[in-house]
Amino acid sequence: MIDEKAEVLANDEVAEDFYLARLDAPHIAAQAQPGQFVNVEVSTGFSPFLRMPLSICSVNPEVGYIDVLYQNSGPKSGELSVKRIGERLRCLGPLGQPFSHPKTGTRCLLVGGGIGVPPMIFLGKTLIEQGFEVVTMVGARSAAKHLADDLLRDAATRVERATDDGSWGHHGLVTDLLRRELTSDRSCVVYTCGPHAMIEAVAGVSAEFDVPCQVSLEEYMACGIGICVGCVVRVKNPEGQTEYADYKRICVDGPVFDAREICWEA
Amino acid sequence: MDLSTEIAGVALRNPVLLASGTCNYGQELQAITDLSRLGGIVTKTITPLPRAGNRPQRIVETPAGMLNSIGLQNPGLDDFIANKWPFLQTLDTQIVVNIAGHTIEEFADMAARLQDLSGIAAIEVNISCPNVKAGGANFANSATASAEVIAAVRSVTRQPVIAKLSPNVTDIAEIARAVEGAGADALSLINTLIGMAIDVRRRRPILGNITGGLSGPAIKPVALAMVWKVFQAVEIPIIGLGGISTAQDAIEFLIAGASAVQVGTASFVNPNAGVEITKGIQRYADESGIQQLSELVGSLQT
Repeated sequence: MIDEKAEVLANDEVAEDFYLARLDAPHIAAQAQPGQFVNVEVSTGFSPFLRMPLSICSVNPEVGYIDVLYQNSGPKSGELSVKRIGERLRCLGPLGQPFSHPKTGTRCLLVGGGIGVPPMIFLGKTLIEQGFEVVTMVGARSAAKHLADDLLRDAATRVERATDDGSWGHHGLVTDLLRRELTSDRSCVVYTCGPHAMIEAVAGVSAEFDVPCQVSLEEYMACGIGICVGCVVRVKNPEGQTEYADYKRICVDGPVFDAREICWEA
Repeated sequence: MDLSTEIAGVALRNPVLLASGTCNYGQELQAITDLSRLGGIVTKTITPLPRAGNRPQRIVETPAGMLNSIGLQNPGLDDFIANKWPFLQTLDTQIVVNIAGHTIEEFADMAARLQDLSGIAAIEVNISCPNVKAGGANFANSATASAEVIAAVRSVTRQPVIAKLSPNVTDIAEIARAVEGAGADALSLINTLIGMAIDVRRRRPILGNITGGLSGPAIKPVALAMVWKVFQAVEIPIIGLGGISTAQDAIEFLIAGASAVQVGTASFVNPNAGVEITKGIQRYADESGIQQLSELVGSLQT
C-alpha cells in the first residue's frame, strides 16, 4: 500500500456518463490484483472532502499505470471527470482483498452491472492470461450505457449482454443469462460486482445451482484502510465470535467476500 | 525547537495525537505512516462488552466534513487486552486508551482493569459519544453526572485521567469545571457535533442511525471557540480537537489554549496527516523563534 502522486495520463468518456482515467502509479500497478481498489483525492480542498474509492479496471505494471473506469454521477466523479492530462492526484492503493483464484480448469462466469463492470475487466484479463475460460455477462439500462466491445475484448472468452430496454443483447436481467449458463454447465465459479440488488440476485442464483460465488461489495466509504469502521456489511457471524464480528469492513476485509458469508436480508 | 511537551505528567514527543475512532487500534495506520513520529494515539473507544455498532449507512460526506454513526463497534475490554494491547504496546508512541460504559460502575470497572496494563499513558473517558443512546451522551449533558463518572474513574486508577467533552451542551465550561473538580488531569475537546443528512428522493435519513456525529474542517471554528472558552475556565491542560487538518489549524488550537491537539477525520483523507501536521508545527516554531511550546499555549492576544 502506498499513497502515490499519480499523474493523469488520460481521462475520456467511453460510454454515456462513463469515463476511463489512466493514472501514472507504478507502485500500485506493480502490486494490484483483480478486485482491489484505490482511494483517490479528487480535490485538495474541502469540496468534495473525502477521497473517491475506485476499483481498478486494468493495470500495466511494465509501463506503470492503472486504469479506473467511473460513472460521472456525483460531486466526486464530477470533479474527477474534469481533471486534465498532467494533473496529479494522490492515489492510495492497492486496497482491499482481491478475488481468489479458481481451481485449474474451472469455467469462470463473471457478472457485472453498471459501474460494477471495471473489476470484472481486470479479473477477466487476468483469468484469460492464466488460461481459464471466461464468460462475462454484462447488464446495463440501455445500449448507450454499455461499454464498447474493445474494452471487454481481452477480458473474456465470450461476452453476453443484457439491457433493461432490449436495445443491446438479451432483453431482461443479467441473471437470466447467468441462469442459462449454469443450466448448460454448472462446474463453474461465479464472480460478480454491481448494484446491490443485482449482486444479491447473482448470489441467489449461484446458491440455487450450488456454485461458489465471490461478490465485490460497495458501501459509502471514508478512509479505505479500515480505521473509520464506516463501510461495513452484515455477515453471518461465525460460531464462537462475539457480536463485534457481526459487521465486517468492506475496505479491508473485502470488498470481495464469499457470497455465503453475507447476511443479504440485513 | 524541541516540540516535546507534557500533559498530565505524560511526556509527549510532540503535541500531536491521533483522535479516538480515527486510528482504530494502530495496526492499519502503522502500515502507511510512522506512528513513532507522533506524540501519541488514542484508541477507538472500548466498552466493557463487545459491541456490533450501528447498522449501515454509517458515513456520509457533508460540506467540508462528514457525519458518522459507527456506534462504538469494538471488541470489548477482554479482547482489547488479549488481542489489541500486545500490538499497541510495541509502538514507539504514547498510547491513550479511550473507554465508555453505560453506567458509572462500568466506567470505574474498566479503569480498574486497565490499571493492570503497564505502558498505558492515560485513560481518556468518553462521556460524549453522540451515537449511543444509553452511552456517554447521557453523562455529557450533565455537569453532575460527568463529574460522578470522572470521580469514580479517578478513585480506582493512578493513571492520568482525561475527560473527553461533548460540544452538544449548553455550557461546556460548566462541564469542564465540574470534571476538573472531580479529579480529571486533562480535558479533550471537542467530540463530534450532532448532525443529520436527508435523502430527499426517498425522504429518509441517509444514516442508518438517523443522526450522527459531524466532524472535519466544518467544525473547526466551533471547536476553537470552545477550547478558548474552557481555557479561561479551568487550570488543567486541554487537548484540542475538531477539524484539524493542517499545521496552521493545530497552531490555532495551541494559541487558543490547547497544550496538545488531536488529529481525527483528516487521517481519513490523508493517512499521513498527523505526521505532516507535526512537521508543519516544527517549521512554524523554528521560523518564529519559539523556544518552548508553552510559549504558544493560550498566547491569544485579545
